[in-house]
Amino acid sequence: MVSVVVITLVASGGALVFSKHRSLTRSMERSARTFAALVSLPLANSVDNYRDTGHEILRQVVARYTELNPNLIRLQVVDVTGREAMDARLTAGKWVLNAYPRTARSPSVSSGELEPRIASLRLSGRRVAGPGMGRMYRVVAPAVETWGRHTYTLICYFSYARVNRDIIRAAAVTTFFLLSGVFLAYVVSVVLARSITQNVERLHSGVRRISASRFDERVSVDSGDEIQDLAESFNSMADRLQTSIGALREAYGRLESLDQAKRSLLATVSHELKTPLTALRGYLELLEEGRLGGLSSEAGRAVDICLKNVGRLTKRIEELVELARLERGTGLVITEQIDLGNFVKGIVETMWPRLEEKELRCTWTAAPDIPRVIGNSEHLERAFLNLLDNAIKFTPEAGTIRIVVEQEERNEVPGVRIRVVDNGIGIPGDQLENVFDRFYQIDQTSRRRYGGLGLGLALVKRAVELHHGEVSVESAPEEGSTFIVWLPVDGGERNRPGASSDRLGESSETAPSEA
Amino acid sequence: MAKIFVVDDEPDVVELLRTILELEGFEVESACEGRVALARILADPPDLLILDLMMPGLDGMEMLKLLRLDPQGADLPVIIVSARTGQIDQIGSLQLGANAYICKPFSNRELIAQVRQLLGEEAS
Repeated sequence: MVSVVVITLVASGGALVFSKHRSLTRSMERSARTFAALVSLPLANSVDNYRDTGHEILRQVVARYTELNPNLIRLQVVDVTGREAMDARLTAGKWVLNAYPRTARSPSVSSGELEPRIASLRLSGRRVAGPGMGRMYRVVAPAVETWGRHTYTLICYFSYARVNRDIIRAAAVTTFFLLSGVFLAYVVSVVLARSITQNVERLHSGVRRISASRFDERVSVDSGDEIQDLAESFNSMADRLQTSIGALREAYGRLESLDQAKRSLLATVSHELKTPLTALRGYLELLEEGRLGGLSSEAGRAVDICLKNVGRLTKRIEELVELARLERGTGLVITEQIDLGNFVKGIVETMWPRLEEKELRCTWTAAPDIPRVIGNSEHLERAFLNLLDNAIKFTPEAGTIRIVVEQEERNEVPGVRIRVVDNGIGIPGDQLENVFDRFYQIDQTSRRRYGGLGLGLALVKRAVELHHGEVSVESAPEEGSTFIVWLPVDGGERNRPGASSDRLGESSETAPSEA
Repeated sequence: MAKIFVVDDEPDVVELLRTILELEGFEVESACEGRVALARILADPPDLLILDLMMPGLDGMEMLKLLRLDPQGADLPVIIVSARTGQIDQIGSLQLGANAYICKPFSNRELIAQVRQLLGEEAS
């Protein structure tokens, strides 16, 4: 790019100097010919008059003529045979004149090339090489009188030195302006480029600062061009961004304080509910055991009912606390290696009294080589207790519950599937997708008949989800339901790049928030 | 006759614990606040401490920490009785040196079994 500009400039400068040189040379040569044409006859006459005597007069005449053309360096007047009559030369800045009387034997012009021109009646100009003076312009002008007599011929020599000096001066001036033009252009372009890049850099750093979340940053560009426009629209974008971010932060702050309030409310509610229940349960148990004096059978029955209801209330509160904790999802340690075969067996054993109470048959089968699952035994235990509790609740007396533990891969992730199959009342098809919702009961009759807040299955779902597992249900009314839980072997480790932070979350978040 | 110290900010619960334990033939002392309790325990160490976690002022965890720092209280059997049911509270308490953890509302029998076990007595 730059080289193209330089080459163009140099070429145009060269062309300028060349054409100037040409025109100066031509004009010098033209004026030389004119000079010779005008001077030849009068000078020849003066020479003819004064060559024998009066050299001083001749010198004055020549001096007058030589002033007319600054390029003139030699005047020679020869007769038609080529013999010199006069020769005036510029030597070291002075004119030196030699005039030869007719009687003297004067030098002769020896050049064969000159002879025909001297004899000719026509004026001719020619560039010739001068002795030690570089090129010269030589004009041969015959002095022809009006009636045709041709006795003398004027030969004048002109130097190109002046022309060359003018050309060199012109070239120097041209080069000077050319170079200063280039320099100026360079300076202007550098300054311009610098101011543009500076503004762009300012804009860029503004964008960087904003993307580093410093939303109060603004860009100041005062260049009065498109970059300033860009900076202004960038600033207005930053304004809007700041407003939105501010609103978002505020909203987030409100949400956080709301969440905080929810947690402390949960802690307080749970504490406040459990403390009276503690006193109730303790004294009721003392009464039931007769440690505070004997009771009538009716009073004993009343105490039993009270105790049973205290138990129910306790369980509901536990469910609420548990669900709230699971829904926060924080502080869950999923690090234990759990053998689900034995785990399910333990749960069935825990529920054995209730199974016997309803005379239900419960079988469990675990395939051999069930891999261990990484999980949180507390939450999984509660989930499976809830599932089994649910199955017991909705299976009529003398019904059957089957629990099957198998290995199953889902989406190329190895895992374990646990199916809890009952032959209870089942769930209508249009209700299937709702059974895992919080506080969901199939209908009001169901709520009265089976009790509970409808939290059990929501708890199951949440606990399984926190293990990155899946829970689903298949059912037909009056035929029974099958609840299917699938847990990945790795406890969802692949989905938690910051798995270790969960453990940190445990100590920092759960401890103060839960009653 | 073993002496049991009960710390709980809820008077009804303290009263219940006192009744249960006295019926079992233990001598019971109680306090409703952590600092008072700690001073009294260190002055006259009981055989066993039943401690609530959530209390105004010095809470159960803090009190347990201070207790374990004192040579008088370093080996005192401690049962935590708390409304908190989270695993983290149970594990945390045990790590701080509690000997057992019982959730409220507790079963009287469970409590007594724990007490007797920690005192090295046969369960009744």
